[in-house]
Amino acid sequence: MGEAVAKVGIISCSGEEIAEGTIARQAVRRVLEALRPNHTVTLCLPLFLAGEEGERRFAREHPTITVDGCSKLCAKRGTEKYSGEVSASLVVSDILGDRAKHCHRSTRQADKADEEAVWIVAERIAAAVDEFIGTRSAGQEDAAGSSAACCACGSPSSAAVVEINGASVTITGLPLIFQHLQKNGLSPDEESANTLLETAKIYHAIDAEDENAYRHALAAAYREFCRESTS
Amino acid sequence: MQSGNNTKLLVIPCSGVGKVHGLISREAVYRVTDDLLPGQADTVCLALLVAGDAETKDKVQSIPCVTLDGCPKLCAFKNVELSGGKVSNQIRVYDVMKRYRGAHFGTATALSEAGWQVVDELADAVVPNANHSAVKEE
Repeated sequence: MGEAVAKVGIISCSGEEIAEGTIARQAVRRVLEALRPNHTVTLCLPLFLAGEEGERRFAREHPTITVDGCSKLCAKRGTEKYSGEVSASLVVSDILGDRAKHCHRSTRQADKADEEAVWIVAERIAAAVDEFIGTRSAGQEDAAGSSAACCACGSPSSAAVVEINGASVTITGLPLIFQHLQKNGLSPDEESANTLLETAKIYHAIDAEDENAYRHALAAAYREFCRESTS
Repeated sequence: MQSGNNTKLLVIPCSGVGKVHGLISREAVYRVTDDLLPGQADTVCLALLVAGDAETKDKVQSIPCVTLDGCPKLCAFKNVELSGGKVSNQIRVYDVMKRYRGAHFGTATALSEAGWQVVDELADAVVPNANHSAVKEE
């Protein structure tokens, strides 16, 4: 891996006709807001294709990942037509396979199947982003002071602070992780600690010697999250 | 998804990914196509249209379109027109949102109750366009 890259552009297909388009869009938002907020921006595909020079220039000058709902690859083909080869191309229908059949176009009908699909795709996008942000571990994303999650929309990053060995540590995406695990039926007991730790480690660098402290802190935070969400 | 023979109206959102406005436009379209006018209204992928897909262009040229745009760049309206489509009505999300002064509409990922109210109001505004296109056909 060469020099570190400041920002990676992620372009989702609009995909209004199919559920995979909605999954692509939601997964991109999750990466922007929670998983890699400091290193990603998004570009509106219809605006980009219609000739917005600023967005085309960004895609020429930065690594760009396209996320398409289907094999028509509108995002990839459109980006390559105007801004050169994309750095990575992900296709939701390839990633999800049959799982996509149970997803919905409207977020109003979204259920567990949609939520899981969004997580799966978002994690694949985040992994692709990690390929380009290089020298900085993706797990070291620091929501504090982040200006990202952007298309200049100012959507706040989702993060939470836990106490680890007397120090406050911000974990990006922790509320979403809790929400996801709660939906999957994880009980807020001591046995949940390992699951919480393993999931948090995907998004946050944790040294081996700190694992026990994280285990306790995450279990306590998750208990509080579940208590608040049911009260 | 194929537009059926009974499709009287295409409803096309901008689907802007950066702001809540884009999600509202998209959800309003699904409210129309899935709940209010199932079988009569359909949508097309805007990016596919902009990319020049022949089948999609043919649809927007042969079926009346209503566009829903989230921002003043009017990507949906402009691109349907550029493709030779027949825009029977262009609706701006912001025009409805401004009636809810001070409300929080949610984010580009998830809508709040006020956001869903705007969705429903926009969708209701689209429905008469299907009736108008039916009258014209007669």
